[in-house]
Amino acid sequence: MPKNEIAASAFTAKRINISKGWYKFSRNPLSVLGLTVLIIIVLAAVLAPYITPYPEHAGPYTNFRESSLPPSLKHFFGTDTVGRDVFSRVIFGYRFSLLLAAVVITLSVPPGILLGLVAGYTRRKWLEVGIMRITDIFLAVPPLVLALAVTAMLSPKLLNQMMAISLMWWPWYCRLVYSVTSSLRHEYFVHDAELTGVGRGFILTRAILPNCVGPILTKITLDMGFVIILGASLSFIGLGVQPPKPGLGTMVADGAKRLPAEWWMAVFPALAIMLVILSFNLIGDGLRDMFAVEEI
Amino acid sequence: MLKYIGLRLIHSLFVLFGLSILIFFIARIMPGDPARVALGPLATEEQVQKLREEMHLDKPFPVQYYFWLRSVLHGDLGKSLYTKRPIIKDLNEYLPATLELVFTSFLISLVFGQVSGVLSGYFKNTWFDGLSRLVAYIGVATPSFAVAIFLLLIFSHILGFIPAVGRISIIMKPPPRVTGFLILDGMIAGQFKVALNGLKHIILPAFSLAVAHIAQEGRVTRSSIVDNMQKDYVAAHIVHGIPTKSVIFKYLLKPSLIPTVSIMGLDFAFIIANAFLVELVFMWPGFARYAVTVMLNKDLNAIVAVVLIIGAVFAVVNLIVDIVVSFLDPRIRLQRRGG
Amino acid sequence: MRTQVPLLEIKNLHVQFKVFEGVLKVLNGVNIVIREKEKVGLVGETGCGKTTTIKSVLRILPSPQAKITGGQIFYRGRDILTMQPREIPGLRRGELSAIFQDPLASLNPVFTVGQQLGDILKHSMKHQGVKGISKKEIRSKAADLLRETGMPDPERILKTYPVQLSGGMRQRVCISEALRATVKLLLADEPTTNLDVTIQDQILRRLDDLVEERGTSILLISHSLGIVRDLTERVYIMYAGTIVETTRTRRLFENPLHPYTKALLKTIPKLTGKGLSEGIRGRIPNYLNPPQGCRFHPRCDSAMNICRKENPPGFSAGNDHVAACWLFRG
Repeated sequence: MPKNEIAASAFTAKRINISKGWYKFSRNPLSVLGLTVLIIIVLAAVLAPYITPYPEHAGPYTNFRESSLPPSLKHFFGTDTVGRDVFSRVIFGYRFSLLLAAVVITLSVPPGILLGLVAGYTRRKWLEVGIMRITDIFLAVPPLVLALAVTAMLSPKLLNQMMAISLMWWPWYCRLVYSVTSSLRHEYFVHDAELTGVGRGFILTRAILPNCVGPILTKITLDMGFVIILGASLSFIGLGVQPPKPGLGTMVADGAKRLPAEWWMAVFPALAIMLVILSFNLIGDGLRDMFAVEEI
Repeated sequence: MLKYIGLRLIHSLFVLFGLSILIFFIARIMPGDPARVALGPLATEEQVQKLREEMHLDKPFPVQYYFWLRSVLHGDLGKSLYTKRPIIKDLNEYLPATLELVFTSFLISLVFGQVSGVLSGYFKNTWFDGLSRLVAYIGVATPSFAVAIFLLLIFSHILGFIPAVGRISIIMKPPPRVTGFLILDGMIAGQFKVALNGLKHIILPAFSLAVAHIAQEGRVTRSSIVDNMQKDYVAAHIVHGIPTKSVIFKYLLKPSLIPTVSIMGLDFAFIIANAFLVELVFMWPGFARYAVTVMLNKDLNAIVAVVLIIGAVFAVVNLIVDIVVSFLDPRIRLQRRGG
Repeated sequence: MRTQVPLLEIKNLHVQFKVFEGVLKVLNGVNIVIREKEKVGLVGETGCGKTTTIKSVLRILPSPQAKITGGQIFYRGRDILTMQPREIPGLRRGELSAIFQDPLASLNPVFTVGQQLGDILKHSMKHQGVKGISKKEIRSKAADLLRETGMPDPERILKTYPVQLSGGMRQRVCISEALRATVKLLLADEPTTNLDVTIQDQILRRLDDLVEERGTSILLISHSLGIVRDLTERVYIMYAGTIVETTRTRRLFENPLHPYTKALLKTIPKLTGKGLSEGIRGRIPNYLNPPQGCRFHPRCDSAMNICRKENPPGFSAGNDHVAACWLFRG
């Protein structure tokens, strides 16, 4: 056998059995519900121009004759102060929220994993300590505060918001992967792999990384929710999606000024934010159960 | 123990130092000229240039940082470009209001979170557990500004019995300042009406901030209780005839509180951050509103100061949390001592 | 000769575990009798259901996964399985006690030894009707118990946390917790498996002396025949959730009947230096689909046709010697 295969066969790395995983996930009906809701939301967001009743309302549209109408069959969530359909805007608003979450996770997870692996596996103490202290510095302030500061300094718009949040987010993954890696560092299957003489990259990707998959996936799912909250919070302050584009946080902020009489302008976008976060959290819980080692 | 606290303290100082470099660096590489921001668009180029020299903006980055750090160590955080006042003065005015709000909310989340967590761990898979789980899911999924808006809508506008916004009714005269915490100051001065009025004002914003953390702490406590229930030592306690009540509330509770207490530092950080939003909704005259204002106005000096102050508060809270945890958990305490 | 009601009688006990793959039929008709002042061993490979057996007696099987699907467990003639839940703690505070395999896991990490041991003593004494015991008295009683297990400097140990103690010391603490004065039956689940060999011996001797002095009955569970040979009078051999053979300990070593027992005896390393001992071929069966008939037949050299079809009942070979094997039919 080539030595890579010997090394690979020595690993007790958890292999994910898809059907068993699905069984465990589906045992939790709430998680399945969350997944269903999320799929609907994603589909609706992607197809927004085709399925929303008034796609043109997602922009600088005004119709003052229909302004501030309460919810009705014609406008499920009512209309805003310039007569735009809140329902259509909420669906378009999901586009920005989901895009933000996807971009932040894509930008921050790979460097986080890489640095975590390096810090957890390296034999150079200075490198390990150095990386981990830098993550400490980033985590020394709540992410919202730092993201707020950076977005404000750059100038408020969605792109800057994405960059700012990504900049704040990688240390969480670095810590997670670091803790898994440094605890596996001295396991027998890692030593065995080292003894076969395969390269370090091989050990990291084939022996250690598979053990991080469960925690990382769970965290990503839960973080999608957090990032959406963060983005909505920044937008609420006015540092996100800029009008006339429909950001969910921005809509809540604008609607809040019309409380209590025209409550629908704030309440429905707020409920929409809750719904998407809730479904991510439910899925995350299901994933956590799925990757948990069961006791008999 | 002292050695452990000392080491933690050094670590916190190091982190704050690193944070100051990070935020100072970010502030300086950002587009925008602080001198121009300070003077406004109408100032002449010469005036701006003069201010740049005064603020050491014409020097390289490390030199700027050196001057800045030197004055920070002398207790001078610089001058706000927006309010044109020393930042220390601004903080002194706004910070106590925020801390009062944050501490109140922290206390609320602590009490409610623990009680609901212990009960739902104990009554696992009953209606109470189910209900608290449902509330927890919704609580975690609701941004604090949304909670604030819902509460505001329900209480002050529909039920109409709690004063809505601000820190105290306009007709009330605030008590003489001792701690800066209005409710405490009211009680110290013997003006209980004022204290009560302050309490009424703080309840809604404090709850808005607390909801997510009640939910989260409750779930952490619950799951650690459920985990620990399966431990051999619990079986051993039961087998040796210790009454169920004492197994649950003594032998199970103490180890189960450790994870919850450990995340409290993080909870505190999130409460501070969310105060930024909730203060806007309730027009709370606090630090967070100040911070948002200076940030929106690109007041770089104040932004750096704000971030550092929050970092410092967070560091202190984390230090306290670590000390409490090491008291709860002999494993940490003894390991640190014995090496 | 022995006509009185046995202290403990396990009759035809069946226990199942529900897992993802299906239902594990772990215990399949276990029969054990322990009389007063008797020292009994229970031997079998890891995973044969020894721990499940004593967990059933103590009523601490993990729920809802584990389920007792049949049988009775009589303690002094009363079925533990049908007792009211509120009666059980009294039994535990009084006559029934246990020591577990992993001494660190069975001590609470965030309470001192004194706190844990003292609390156990307090409730045990309350149960006996002793009232108004001072903290000082409990402390000195706890220290006495520790001293009896051979613990040096017990007063100091009472103030320490489990993590500060060595493995042997932890197990001494566990023995102190279990061996209160009123205990009549001690279930000891591999009490020394995790310890160094030299300490193992010390602790087992100490445990044996204490049991002897107090006239406590003990069910000593072990996967090692050597330990059982030294410390017990009678022994049960367990294989895959059933008792395959039982007899007086000495007789078992002189005249083992069941093929599994014979194979097990061959695994004891000999001091004559003829190399390593033989193992038993094959491995313990899968509880999901246990073999039809006798559960040992796939590994048995003398398996017959009937072994593949029917589970053998216990056949008496005289003198309290019973073997569940078709070889000894009639």
